[in-house]
Amino acid sequence: MKTRVSLDEELAKLSRDVPPPRELWPGVVRGIVRTPRSAPRLSSVPWMAYAASAAGLCLAAALAWVMVQGRPPMTASGSGAASGSGAASGPGAASAPGVAANPAAQGSPLGSPQGSAQGSWQGSPPAGGDSSAGSAANLGEPSDPRYLAARAELERTFNQRLGELDPATRAKIEADLASIRKARDDIRKALASQPDSPVLEQLLASALHDEFDLYDAVVRTTQPTTARI
Amino acid sequence: MGSVQHLHLVDLIDENVEPTAVIAAAAQGDLAAFEALYRRFAPRLYGLCLRLTGQREAAEDCVQESFVAAWRGLGRFEKRSRFATWLQRIAIRTVIARRRGLRNAHEVGEPATGLPDRPDPAGGAPPLDLERAIAALPEGARDVLVLVGIYGYSHAEAANVLGVAEGTCKAQLHRARGLLSAALGLEES
Repeated sequence: MKTRVSLDEELAKLSRDVPPPRELWPGVVRGIVRTPRSAPRLSSVPWMAYAASAAGLCLAAALAWVMVQGRPPMTASGSGAASGSGAASGPGAASAPGVAANPAAQGSPLGSPQGSAQGSWQGSPPAGGDSSAGSAANLGEPSDPRYLAARAELERTFNQRLGELDPATRAKIEADLASIRKARDDIRKALASQPDSPVLEQLLASALHDEFDLYDAVVRTTQPTTARI
Repeated sequence: MGSVQHLHLVDLIDENVEPTAVIAAAAQGDLAAFEALYRRFAPRLYGLCLRLTGQREAAEDCVQESFVAAWRGLGRFEKRSRFATWLQRIAIRTVIARRRGLRNAHEVGEPATGLPDRPDPAGGAPPLDLERAIAALPEGARDVLVLVGIYGYSHAEAANVLGVAEGTCKAQLHRARGLLSAALGLEES
């Protein structure tokens, strides 16, 4: 039989490192956006305003998703800025079922988190941006044509389904989407003048994720019952 | 990924090398550099939080909150300790603060999941059993066992970060070892 000396040996042999079972970085970024440094060092960059917009859009997307799903917004265990609560557990989260189930999202250049080794978001060269952009700035935009095609198709379906919703729900979702797009466009403008800002790149990635996730949430939750898995 | 490409990424690979350049860049607001630090240190923090909380979701939350706190406090990191040690202190305090909040809310967590599944070359008790036995320990005993027994803290360091007396720390370790031995059917040496 083993002794307590061997217990100490067993304890010492346990690996101190345990990889998280899911990607936690997006939640960290959201937390950073929500709770900026008290003494920010980026004094010349007015990115806090865009960060605030992005935080708002995350919440808006989460609320829209919750409204459509008819679920409470968070569990009792959710806490803190970066916890799995709110937007982090809603449509913007890496583990959101819509994103995980969507091949377009999985292969997306929008920093699909599970495959990222050293950076979930890479600024890609100017390549047209997404169809809903309406902005001259293409910095940090996704460029993978497969992603763009999938996104365009999702947006088309979203618009179609949106028209089938009752007016009150539709108005709420449209208001949320407008908030998301406003923030997205503000971040794009900021990126045009601060093209090397990794913070703005992250924020843009987050905004595009949230827009995509809102489309996806609406499409999934308005799926005809027989077509749902 | 921005400026992180120009940083000393090799520093992030070697555990014994303090990634000072990456830390400095992150302290200046480089989020890509901070993400590189996250990639390097998240497994250590997750392992620590998972063992302290015994719950996967709680550990995930604590890791995220810890990195957000680290981002906010990077400007105050004075390099008197290693960055990993500083991060771990943040994580431990996050876990303790979370516990206090949950105690107030009377939340009951799920059993421990997501624990590392490592083969046991010695052929003894499977590590997973050991992890489960650790997770089942009372909080005070578990905290000390995890910090001292697994993460190599001295009693003084563990007592300091846990906010208890050093004697309490030693007593809790003794208690933890006894409970673990009983749970795993080990003999007194």
